[in-house]
Amino acid sequence: MKSRAIHLAAATLLLSAGLMLPRIFAQEPPEETPQEKPPGSNVTLILDSGKRAPMKLAIPAFRVAGGLAGDAAATAREMEEVVRQDLQNSGYFDIQGPDALRSLTLTGDIQRDLEAYRSAGSQTVLLGDLRAEADKIVFEGRLFDVASGQAILAKRYRGAFPVGRRIAHTFADEVIKFLTGSQGISLSSIAFTSDRSGNKEIYTMDYDGQSQRRVTGHRSTSMSPSWAPDGRGIAYTSFFNGPPGIYLADLASGRKKPLVTSGSLNMTPSFAPDGGHFAFSRSVNGNVEIFTADKEGGNLRRLTNSSAIDTNPSWSPKGGEIAFTSGRAGNPHIYMMDAEGTNQRRLTFDGTYNDGAAWSPSGDLIAYTSRRDGRFQIVITNVVTLASRVLTSGAGENESPTFSPDGRKIVFVSARTGRKQLYVMDLDGGNVRQLTTEGNNDMPDWSRAVPAQ
Amino acid sequence: MSRKWMVWIVAPVLLTVLTGCPKKKPKTPPQDLNVETKTVPAPPPPATTQDVVQPPPPAPAVADKTEDPLLSQDLQVVNDELRRRGFSPDVYFELDESSLSDDARGRLARNAELLKSQAQFMVTIEGHADERGTNEYNLALGERRANAVRDYLGSLGVAGERMRTISYGEERPVCTQSEESCWSQNRRAHMVITGRANVG
Repeated sequence: MKSRAIHLAAATLLLSAGLMLPRIFAQEPPEETPQEKPPGSNVTLILDSGKRAPMKLAIPAFRVAGGLAGDAAATAREMEEVVRQDLQNSGYFDIQGPDALRSLTLTGDIQRDLEAYRSAGSQTVLLGDLRAEADKIVFEGRLFDVASGQAILAKRYRGAFPVGRRIAHTFADEVIKFLTGSQGISLSSIAFTSDRSGNKEIYTMDYDGQSQRRVTGHRSTSMSPSWAPDGRGIAYTSFFNGPPGIYLADLASGRKKPLVTSGSLNMTPSFAPDGGHFAFSRSVNGNVEIFTADKEGGNLRRLTNSSAIDTNPSWSPKGGEIAFTSGRAGNPHIYMMDAEGTNQRRLTFDGTYNDGAAWSPSGDLIAYTSRRDGRFQIVITNVVTLASRVLTSGAGENESPTFSPDGRKIVFVSARTGRKQLYVMDLDGGNVRQLTTEGNNDMPDWSRAVPAQ
Repeated sequence: MSRKWMVWIVAPVLLTVLTGCPKKKPKTPPQDLNVETKTVPAPPPPATTQDVVQPPPPAPAVADKTEDPLLSQDLQVVNDELRRRGFSPDVYFELDESSLSDDARGRLARNAELLKSQAQFMVTIEGHADERGTNEYNLALGERRANAVRDYLGSLGVAGERMRTISYGEERPVCTQSEESCWSQNRRAHMVITGRANVG
């Protein structure tokens, strides 16, 4: 079923806006070849050879219906910016924006403008139209194939002004899915901790750093957020009721419920991909070991039994394995085991301190924090070949990597400006952008599914 | 109109009537005007100077009755008093270590004696780490430090049910500079009296 998830997302959006609109083009997009590879599987440690030349995508200024003023005009400008930014951030396209197209003489009639686009090397043109209907914004986005002159995708969305950004993200992911076959990340969300309120609380934000929201208000120390696979909840560790315990925040209702709080220490939850269980670490007679529990926090099963610290489990995307950190070799290193606790084996040998493994969505890479020459850096390692690569360098500590749902980006923490802030980078360590500015921000976890609204 | 003014007329009249007219003073022989003046020696200067200070605010009624600070309901007073008697609130650790140094063992031995002689107190042992390392691993490290202290105090005879541990990892530093002089203060187990046992 092609792009079913995104259609559902769009449908949800339209329903929430109060009505369902038919597609404005009867012509369905051509059937796509089913994607053989899971997202990110083309990203190997030989990164450069995997890169295709980006498609040249022309996005002239959106047409905004006359008379749009105030909120409507501001929303229209923002939506145009979001669509362009999402497609730019995706890394799949060479975007030709209004500035790049300035030298062309464009009429706005796509059939008459095709020659001009061809002369600029454009392969695809994206036209956007925005207008207001009462207190709602209506957006129509269309894609044209320059070679054939055919319209290949058309979508219409309507919603209240505050959902303008979400409409734009939805359309951007639709374009990415249609043109590349890959699921976009524009609707994904990043959970993290921030001390901006004076206490360490759990927050979420859109993938681009916008719409930052506080999830917890415990006025204590809350940390290690971990998305439930369905995006509806976030498990986390908190001290608010005394010893650190594991809680689940339901995003829709705002309710927090305890998952595992018995004993002196429970922390670092990580869900299995089916959401039915989670792995975590728990103190047993003063030593921390890895356990699993069902999603309600019951049926505890102990997986490790060493005299050293075993902590920070990370459940693999296919469900069969759990990466974790152990001090059993004298220093913290990354280990792997089967999800039943068997077949425990060491994965990292470089450096003297490796912790915080995060899986790529395809399950072939882990990213983690590694102390190199006295400073923490982000490293990725292929779990089969064990080939690894350091992605960050220089001053400031770099910690806590988490992969994007498409496996093409990593969000991490860096203290390079003095305070801890979240940054995003490509898998080759390039294209670094700062996402947060307020307070200290730490421990990011990138959602897999589109989070519930 | 008030008649109070009449009091000023009536009262002297009545007084005169009741007491009679003033009698003539009896003539007494004139006294010797040369009264001997006895010189009283000045009191010696006070041996100590009394500093006058603002009186302290009244103590809480309960604490007021007690003479022994260890009987105070205010656990801060109890902790201060134990410290005065030689209780070490902190023992320190090497980087990434949770084993006890000789210095730490010496301090804990003294703490154990005090705790055994004051069996009414519950002690909480907090494990802390410096900022180096990840927050998660440091939380596990703090747990081990707190438990290393609990186990040692237990081996010296402090009852296990009187001790509670909690790890704060690097989340509650006492010192926030990024340098060893500060980090070494944060790699610690902190012991604090947090309650009384429910025993007679």
